[in-house]
Formats: sequence, C-alpha cells, structure tokens
Amino acid sequence: MRPKHKMLSHLKYAGVLAAAISAVILTPVSGAEQSRTVINRITESQYANIIADVFGSDIDLGGRFEPGMRQDGLLAVGSSRVSVTASGMEQYDAMAHAIASTVVDDAHREMLVPCTPAAADKPDDACAETFFSGAGLLLYRRPLTASQLDAYVAAAHIGTEQAGDFYEGLSLSLAGMLSSPMFLFREQRTEPDPDRTGQLRLDAYSKAAQLSFFLWDSGPDAQLLEVAASGAIHTDEGLKRQVDRMLASPRLESGLRAFFSDNFRFSEFGTLIKDTIIFPKFDPAVAEQAREQTMRTVLDVVMKQNADYRDIFTTKRTFLTPELGSIYNVPVFKSGPNGSPDQWQPYEFSEEDPFTGILTQISFTALHSPAGRSSPTFRGKALREIMMCQEVPAPPGDVDFTLFESGKDLRNATARERLALHSAEPMCAGCHKITDPLGLALENFDGLGEFRTHDNGALIDASGQLNGSGFDGADDFADVVRDDPAITSCLVERMSSYAVGRSAKDDKKDWIKGLNADFAQTGFRIIGLMRAIALSDDLYTLSNAEISTAAAK
Amino acid sequence: MAFMPNQSVCLSRKTISAAMVATFAGLATVGASGSVRAEESRAFVVSWFAQATYTQENDCSGGVHPALEEVYFKYLPHLGVEPETIDEIKQSYAAGEEDDRLKDFMMVRGRIDGEPVNPWTYPAAVQDLELPGLDGEYAYGFDLDGQGANDPDGFVEPETFEKGVDHQLYRALGCARSFRGSLTDSPTYWAWAWGQLVSSQPAWVVTVTGADLSKDGPVTVKFERALEHLRVNGDSSPRANMAYRIDPDPRSRNEFPGQMKEGVVTVSGGGDMRVLQNPLVAPELMLRNFHMRMDVAADGSMRAIIGGYQPWEDVYWGFGNLSIGGEQQVIGDASQLYHLLKRYADADPNPETGQNMSISAAYYIEGVPAYVGLPSTSGLTTQAARN
Repeated sequence: MRPKHKMLSHLKYAGVLAAAISAVILTPVSGAEQSRTVINRITESQYANIIADVFGSDIDLGGRFEPGMRQDGLLAVGSSRVSVTASGMEQYDAMAHAIASTVVDDAHREMLVPCTPAAADKPDDACAETFFSGAGLLLYRRPLTASQLDAYVAAAHIGTEQAGDFYEGLSLSLAGMLSSPMFLFREQRTEPDPDRTGQLRLDAYSKAAQLSFFLWDSGPDAQLLEVAASGAIHTDEGLKRQVDRMLASPRLESGLRAFFSDNFRFSEFGTLIKDTIIFPKFDPAVAEQAREQTMRTVLDVVMKQNADYRDIFTTKRTFLTPELGSIYNVPVFKSGPNGSPDQWQPYEFSEEDPFTGILTQISFTALHSPAGRSSPTFRGKALREIMMCQEVPAPPGDVDFTLFESGKDLRNATARERLALHSAEPMCAGCHKITDPLGLALENFDGLGEFRTHDNGALIDASGQLNGSGFDGADDFADVVRDDPAITSCLVERMSSYAVGRSAKDDKKDWIKGLNADFAQTGFRIIGLMRAIALSDDLYTLSNAEISTAAAK
Repeated sequence: MAFMPNQSVCLSRKTISAAMVATFAGLATVGASGSVRAEESRAFVVSWFAQATYTQENDCSGGVHPALEEVYFKYLPHLGVEPETIDEIKQSYAAGEEDDRLKDFMMVRGRIDGEPVNPWTYPAAVQDLELPGLDGEYAYGFDLDGQGANDPDGFVEPETFEKGVDHQLYRALGCARSFRGSLTDSPTYWAWAWGQLVSSQPAWVVTVTGADLSKDGPVTVKFERALEHLRVNGDSSPRANMAYRIDPDPRSRNEFPGQMKEGVVTVSGGGDMRVLQNPLVAPELMLRNFHMRMDVAADGSMRAIIGGYQPWEDVYWGFGNLSIGGEQQVIGDASQLYHLLKRYADADPNPETGQNMSISAAYYIEGVPAYVGLPSTSGLTTQAARN
C-alpha cells in the first residue's frame, strides 16, 4: 500500500500551487526591470541542459515537448513567437512533477537538498527557503524576489502540512517553480544604457543568460551569476574574462550542437520516414546516427581543429559506426566486444571516394528526399535555404501536374529528364531553375544516401553550374559551394540571430556587416565569430527603434 | 549467373582511404596511393544456410513418410502394446483427439536389454521401421568419390548436369516431410534451423581472393567465422556491406585453392572444412573433401553449393536434441532419421564395424557483400577484404 501522502491527488494542491504561481507571476517588477523586450520559450535542449546542470544528468524529464516554430531558418528565432498550448502546459506540468519528485526522492535528496528538515513530517520554512533560493537562482537565471521566494516557501509549507511529508511539500512547490513562465521563458529585461543615451541594455542577469544560452545552450552557471550580481559583467574586462572562460569550456560543444542542430533543421529527423522496401538499411537508429555523424564532422572542423568553417563542405574526415559504414559502403569494424553497442570511429574517405563534406552525408541526402527516391528539388531548396539563407518560394497552388502525369512515359527517366519538363513550363521554371541544378549535383546519392552511378538504368549526369562556376559531380560541387560567399554570410546572419533570439538581419545590419568582415579576417573560424558576437554590445543592447520593430513584429 | 566484380557497386572507387591504410596494414586490396594491385578480394557474409534440396514429384517411389502419428503407431506392436490398446489410441486420433498414452509410449520407445529408454539419447535402441529413402534422379552436390557416371548411387546435378553426384544425405532425408523442398522453397527443418543459427551464432564469411577476379584463373577461398552475428536491416533482410571481424580461433579458419572460370568459383577437393556452429543444429559443420561452386549476382549477392563428407552422427544429434517437441513441430520421427542416416552413410568406414561414419552432403548458402578483417592482438583489425 502506498504511503498516505502519496495517495493524495495533485489536484488537492492545485489551489495552493495556483496561488503560489500567481503570486510569482504577478509580482511587480522594480523600476530597473521596467522594460521588457524579447521573450523566448526555452528549447527542448535548453530545458534538458538546465535540469542536468542544476539537478544532475540522471534526472529523467519524463515528458515530451511540443514542436517549435521555425522562423528565418531557426527555431531559436521562432521561439520568440510561440507560447504554450494547453496540451503543452500539461506536458510541462507532468515533467515538472516528475523532475521534482526525483530531486527529493531518497536517492537524490541528500545531494540536492542542501539542508535537513527539523522533522521530516512537518514544514521547515528555513530549510525550504534555503532550497528555493539556491534552486530558484539557477532555474530563473536571477535571484528570486522576496515575494517569489515567500510564495514558494509558503506553497511548500502548505503542501507539507497536507501531505505530512516535508519532501512531498518541497516537491510540489518545486514543480510549481518548474512550470513557471519565469523558468520556461527567457525574458530579456532591459535598463537604460548609461554609456549610450537613448539606448537600452540588458540588465546584468539577462546579459548573463543571453551569453550562456548562446555559448552553452543552458542557463548561467554560478560563476557567471556571481559576475552578474557584482555588475562586473557590464565591464569590458569582466565580460571578456567570462567569454574566454566559456569558450574554453567543454560545454561550448553543447552550444555548437544546439546551433547546428537548429540551423541544419535536424528536428525534422523526428518525422523522417523512408520506404524500407526501397531503402531497407534505413531505420530510426540510422537516422539518429546520421544526424550524429554530421554533428561530429562539423564539430571536428569548427571546434576540435578550429579550421575554416567552409571546410565542412569539403572535408573527407568524418566519424562512422559500422551501420553507417554499410551505407557508405566502407569498412567500419566494431571496436568493442561482440554484442557490445557500436561505437563511433574516426574515418577518412579517400580522395577517390565520392563522399565529400556534409552535403554528401545521410543527414542531408536522406533528410531532404522523399520516402522513396531522391529529390534534386528538395535538396537544392534545402541547400539554398539552410546554407545560403536564400528563400525559395513555395510552389503555386494551381500547379498543372498533367504535364508530368500524361504524355511521355517518365517512369524510366532520370531525375534530370523529369525535371527538364519543369524548365519548359513557365509556372515551374522560376523556382526550379534555382533549386534543381544544385540538387542534381547530388544525384549520385539515392534517397538514403548510398552512392550510385545510374538512375533508372541511365548514367547519372551530376554536372552543372552555380553562380557561373561549373562542376561535375559532388566533389566539384563541394568546392564550388565552399567558395560561394553566401555560405559564410548566411552563417553570420544565422548565428547572430540565434544569439539574440530574434531575427537580426533587418535591424542589426551594420552589426552583421561588421561580423562578416571579422569572420573573413579570422579565416572563417567559428570560435572567433562566436567570440566576436559574445563580446559585441549589439548582443546586449537595444535601440528604441529595435524595440519598436520587435514589438511591431 | 557469373562472378562479376566489375558490376558490383562501384568497385573501382572502393579503395581503402589513406587513413584506413594506416589502420589496416596488409590490406588485401591496395589503397588509393596508386600502387600496383597485387590481388583483389571479395567477401560475403552468409545470409542463408540449408541443405541443398531438389524435391521432385515421384522421387520417393517408396512413398513420402507418413505423418508423425502414423509413424508412432507403427512402433506400438514392437513395444508390446496390446492390439486393443492400439485400436483405442488410433480411434482417438481418428476422432481428432489426442491420447496421452501414445506420447507416453513414444517417450520411452527405445529398448536396451528389454528396458525402456529415451529414444533420442539412444536412437540405435529404437526399432528401425525401414522407412524409405529418396530414389529420384537429381540432387545438388558434387562427385565426391570420383566415380562419375559409374556410381550406382550417383545423382545428376540439376544445374551442371554432372553425373555421379554424391549426396546421400539427401537420399536419407529426402522422403521425410520436413526435409522436402527446393533452394527457393526451403524444407521446414532447414528453415527452422537457419532461424536458430542466425540469431544464436556468429556469422560465417566467405572470401575469394585472386589476381583479377574478372578473369579466369586460380583463386583462394576462405570460409571462416566472424566475431559478430549477421547484421540485418529493419525488415530482417541481410544488411549488405557491413564489416565483420574474423574470429582468429583456428577451429573455424579454412582456406582452399580454387578456380575462377567464366565467373564461377569452384573448389574441388580442397581438404576439410570446419566451422563452429550452434550445437542446437550441430556443434560443428565439418565437410571432408570440401567442394564448392559459387556465383555472384549482378546485385553483388552470392549463392553457392558447398559439399563434402559429413559425420552423420553430428547431423543426427541436431535432430535428437529436439526431443518430443521438436519431433512434433519440426522434424518428424528423429529415431527413423537416425536409421536412415546410418543406412545411407557412404564414407569413412569404422575399421572395426565397417559402418560408414560419414555421409556425402551438399548445402546451399547465400551471402551478401561484406567487409572482413582479422583482429590483431592489439585489438586493431589488420586485414580487410573488400567485396
């Protein structure tokens, strides 16, 4: 039989928690917190990272996240436009209770609750206050106000009285904290910028959070919060010291992973399907490994080697599992005992191998193909939009498909032959001429990513041109893509928008222009670009015009 | 079908990268450095294994073996069961009902010095009902004894039309219901057996090495066991182009001289072939005087007939291990299979009794392209053969 307090429904505490949460939300802000700008819902990875940072990586989240909204190519930008649906709130609530229960369970409380209650079955406000002031600082990314702290202590007090268990009360109140908008949303609070008349800057804690979410994809750690508390984060030296510390931290990998995962649209792997009759090697494990392969490849170039960002399009170095090896048709032997899970191994394709850079990796070829075949159109569109920040219009609603469904039998035609019909049709030609030539360069890779020389029995022609530069096959194409200036300018635009949490291309043009120049000067080193962004005033300041623009959007 | 290396998936580009050359010293295929290619290899992981059967109508002139209950009924008089009891049991089965007495009798249908014994452990103690063997004209296999058309027990090979083919295992088992089938419509027992093997034992791999596999000439054929199990796709089909490490255990390392001719690889009398196997089927697949005929399809997959003389008692224990449940669900009467194997054994006579202890056999294997390498003591894979 379960203990009595466990049998009490959460609903019994609904009134208590609602009162506590309302008190927190409705707490008036001080004069220094009067201006609020962009508010971003924290992403799935940020949620997970914060919980791991605050309570440990063994805490099971116990729920699912509702999908984000992509804007200007990034979920991070779209996160400033989304709220929480009713079902999404249910999930947040479920996760909050699951996490809170684990934090105070027998296995964790000694480590995670920094005090012991005077009596386990009675409220202990002092202990609860100690716990919430510490956890609240990390979860809210700023110290709790007195009224916020009082509300959570009061909620724990009432919960303990009703459950007859201090930790149960603590858990219920913590669950309320984890469901709070203060945790679930990144709020940028501003204050007048003393150095720039008429401009606003983020307050110290918002600045710390801005920096931390950008570089680490998580909330600020204790050291960064201390620097925020002291105000040193507003000094050039104080900021520089923190940026250098954070860039040197292994946690930078989390930040880079989050950025590239967002930029490369890896969230779409969640809905990727393949016809396994046509592509029997595809399964969810391969999808997961494909995504990880590209992430490891990119991190190897931009972080481990700190090499030219553009090399991700031409590198022969990658990381493979035996299963991925079977798709690329190269030998990747298990390194562990028989029966052990497959492990990642570094691999370098030979110059003669057709696999060059991330565009020839499964994460691109398969993700941007329909279930049963390749698609030069999808791939070209993805390349334009993801890597070059170029918008490809959606097809018109009145497309005439009879051109493709009747007349000439296209069942045995190559993709190039099928797509040639588009170029002859004015309604289609406008868009297809900007997508298809790029995608056709990758036609030697089928809808999964396996190399092939023929399509429907005909030799594949993977030649073409991009901005006047000719190519023949994926190897050539990789070189042409690498040298296209849109590749680097797109990255700067995306990374700056990602950092500020909203689109930066319109109202921060000068900043982006300067970053582009810096990026080129450093030989297109991403760490250098991140440092430039992180040290830039533009990441932390807003002109009134920008606020107006943001509000209007 | 023929062996067509140039039609495999882009063989020319499949050279080991420079980085891998450093890791895989002593490659069978030379890397991209432009050095002269001394030889080339293609490897396959075995994705199907079954006796090579070629069941035809009218190939059992003595009749296909009756259903298991009918065979069981035949024992009852030999076991001293009263005729009235036999009638009662038969009537029960005729009415669609089981009679536990039949099972009880069958569980101890062996007799040693008049005492009932377990028939699966003591198959020789079970009455030989003299069920018929197969006497059809065709069977897959090889002319192992070299008698050719003069071999009175020889079959005609259905693909090569070679005469004097020795496949007494097929003669012994070919009229048992669970052993009738073809290469594409596998016998019940062998389908079941492969299901057991594939999920419970490391994969077998076959490697063919030669100076130029697109031309006729001598080749070397290796038949070995991997450390890994067969890897499959989501639809359970064998996964092509996976890498397998060779088990260095000498009990499963075999190398034979062979010939490539018109795309077909043959091994003729290359010695003994031994690989460890799941004891549920047989503890070891041992084929003396090993023969093989292998070809490769355009999609890179391989099919082969392998044959040789096999210890027939090993084959029996694969049946005997299954006991009453296996008899009823998979193989039929194991004791009679024992007697058939013993009767048709055609090689390696026991010097004291004269009883042949081996039986000529032929098996059908399929494989998909694979990479194989030999792990060194340092843990690195030191040799890679590419399909």
